[in-house]
Amino acid sequence: MPTARSLITIMLAVTLLSACSQVRPWERGYLAKKEMAWDTDALESALNDHIFFSKEAASGGDNAAGGGCGCN
Amino acid sequence: MLLLRRMQTTIGLLLVLVGPTTFAVEEGDKVPAFDFASIYADKPNINLEGLEGKTLFIDFWASWCAPCVLSLPLYNEMYHKYKDQGLEVIAINVDNPIEDGLDFLLDTPLDFLIPRDPEGDAAELFGVIGMPSSYLISPDGNVELVHMGFRSGDMEILEEEVKKVLASN
Repeated sequence: MPTARSLITIMLAVTLLSACSQVRPWERGYLAKKEMAWDTDALESALNDHIFFSKEAASGGDNAAGGGCGCN
Repeated sequence: MLLLRRMQTTIGLLLVLVGPTTFAVEEGDKVPAFDFASIYADKPNINLEGLEGKTLFIDFWASWCAPCVLSLPLYNEMYHKYKDQGLEVIAINVDNPIEDGLDFLLDTPLDFLIPRDPEGDAAELFGVIGMPSSYLISPDGNVELVHMGFRSGDMEILEEEVKKVLASN
């Protein structure tokens, strides 16, 4: 019975979805820590951006504003 | 056919359970009853019954939240300006561990009520959707304003709303 089998598969997939949890706004303390940033060294990051701009004649698009507080 | 129908019902129920079931306090709602422990071990609990007749400005903050840190000294000024007219500011700290919040308070002393909420129970009760979030409550318990974030110019808007609520009561 292919319909029943596919339904069981969907049901199992939906059950597994419950493992995904949303980080609530008040739980973002760890994400806001300095060491959690993609670039922990602002000076090195600026230098890399400058090199990228010189080589590619383009800049930006590599990060977004916000410290993970969910307010922007 | 019966099996198919049962499966559909089960899947429907599972989808409901998987989805986030959050309730957010909105303008026009009644403020939920609360009883929060203070961030300071030697201070009494902060509860709604004990604040009867006051206009409440409830704010959720954390030491890691940059806009929160900007707003708190301004809320302290607002508190001193309007406390004699019946304003009470309650700034709920959601730092986990609470020592992070206490460290911040050592450098930035605040004179209003500061409950602790390391497990996010109060934030869950209010259905906070971003940090910082603030709620202006009239003395009869109505939520007059819900404000999220803190940007330049927000303080003027918030103070205007506080003045309106204080004047109407």
